[in-house]
Amino acid sequence: MAVNAPFYRFGLFNDEVSLIVAFVIGIGFGFCLEQAGFGSARKLTAQFYFKDLAVLKVMFTAIVTAMAGLYLVSRFGLVDLSLVHLTPTVLVPQLVGGLLLGIGFVIGGYCPGTSVVSAATGRIDAVVFLGGMAAGVFGFGEVYPFIAPWTKVTNFGVITLPGLLHVPYGVVVLAVVLMAVGAFVAAEWAEKIIGGVQPGPDSLTGSVRRFNPARILAAGLVGLGLIAAISGNPYREGRVTIATRQLARLAGQTAAHITPGELSSWLIEERADYTLVDLRTADDFAQHRIPGAQNVPLAALTDTVAPRTEKVVLYAQDDTQAAQAWILLKALGFKAAYTLAGGLDAWNNEILFPAKPAADTPGTRAEFAKRVAVAKHFGGTPRGTAAPGQNDLPALAPPPPPLLPAGKAGAAPTKKKREGC
Amino acid sequence: MSPPSTPAKSYLNPYLAGFGLGLVLLSAFVVMGRGLGASGAVNSTVAATVHALAPAHAQAHAFFAEYLGDGTVSPFKDWLVFQVIGVFVGGLLSGAFSNRLRVTVEKGPRISTLGRLVLAFIGGAILAIGAKLALGCMSGQALTGGALLNAGSWAAMMCIFGGAYALAWFVRRQWL
Repeated sequence: MAVNAPFYRFGLFNDEVSLIVAFVIGIGFGFCLEQAGFGSARKLTAQFYFKDLAVLKVMFTAIVTAMAGLYLVSRFGLVDLSLVHLTPTVLVPQLVGGLLLGIGFVIGGYCPGTSVVSAATGRIDAVVFLGGMAAGVFGFGEVYPFIAPWTKVTNFGVITLPGLLHVPYGVVVLAVVLMAVGAFVAAEWAEKIIGGVQPGPDSLTGSVRRFNPARILAAGLVGLGLIAAISGNPYREGRVTIATRQLARLAGQTAAHITPGELSSWLIEERADYTLVDLRTADDFAQHRIPGAQNVPLAALTDTVAPRTEKVVLYAQDDTQAAQAWILLKALGFKAAYTLAGGLDAWNNEILFPAKPAADTPGTRAEFAKRVAVAKHFGGTPRGTAAPGQNDLPALAPPPPPLLPAGKAGAAPTKKKREGC
Repeated sequence: MSPPSTPAKSYLNPYLAGFGLGLVLLSAFVVMGRGLGASGAVNSTVAATVHALAPAHAQAHAFFAEYLGDGTVSPFKDWLVFQVIGVFVGGLLSGAFSNRLRVTVEKGPRISTLGRLVLAFIGGAILAIGAKLALGCMSGQALTGGALLNAGSWAAMMCIFGGAYALAWFVRRQWL
């Protein structure tokens, strides 16, 4: 079998091992930051007074190296690029957040990663900075319920620069490399003119007449950029890569389901981070569907339904078709495919037409009142006391399917938040 | 910690340090399918602390509950938490290797130690709020998202530089 990466996504090791990987990668990250001098707040902030533009040089060299390297390993088949996690673009909060990050950086002297390195090398101000971060997170958490809707506006989903600009991925790679090298030359010029620092022997623009490491590196990166620009699309289009062992393991987990209750709260919150797919025929879909669903009949399901790193929720009338579609998407490398437990039948029974519980206590009454409110949100109505097997589903226009005994929905665990930084 | 007798080594050429950092980031993409991060670990720590002190409050709060999950897995058993522990160890190793371990408060000559510490705290708090809104900090958005050509990351990165340059003049006494 061909080597498939990202290794974790293809199930080469489990979550426990991934924590060891995280630790090792962290050591490399911390070591590089400290060697660059980023344990020092004065070295970092010198960037903003044109004394020493190391922040720009280190950051853009790292970005360009990882970008060009990732392009090559993807283009030549090792990595499935669609499985590398991308955070969604939520434009306005990200612009405001970016400004606050910059302001906090120049006031506090660090960014989160460099403050950890600085604390490790003995700086008390970095420890205080980390304390300030904790206070900021706590304060944000306390006001979050009031600003939550605002933090989700202008959500464009996952979008890359090549996708946004309609320019081939490799051409964008070359453009970023050239932009970075141009920025380095400009940075050395600014250090000389504004900061009064002469370019040293390790610089790109110094008067030294020889190949120094910086120049060799810059030339190498431009070379990689040129290769990228003519090598074509780095994504694996339509090629199926089946990791059978992982698939079997995943199929046995209830984590592959979401319950009708969870889906209803996603819909009420108007979350935009998932795609809801109705797998039934176009006729069935036209008659009755879950709001926000798009119709992709099972036979027409391909990898174009959504980006492979995005959450996809599949449903059909009951569980069977959805399970088939789920295996197909997982085999295609979709990272976050889920089925709606119990399908549309369960949605009708639990959300649209909730049955009044047999036991009448204040607790069950309050619970039922909540479910009635949710049902009304979706245009449904509650039913009388539940009587197993009795078909008393209220008429829906268009009419709902006959009521089947509601299967016990698998309880899906709440997924922990997994964000970028 | 007494100051080491040998002088600190000079910092690595920024282009070479950046190249090394880029290789670390690339290895994270290839091995894990995700990049680097730092601020997420602070979030997990704060959520766990709030949970320990006021469990009901943390569970009722959507923001903290998100980091706590369903309670079956510790919030510290998280990729970013382990990665940040690694960053600390890596920084310590590098500092020891280059004779740069010193207990100090880093500041320019024109500000008091207390003033510097107050500003460090305020800066940290502002930055943490920014990281929450931007869905990541310099490592998660600028570095990782930049290398992945993520549109929102590039927008956030430009704002990071813009915000810092815009405010730099007002806090120059702290650094210069």
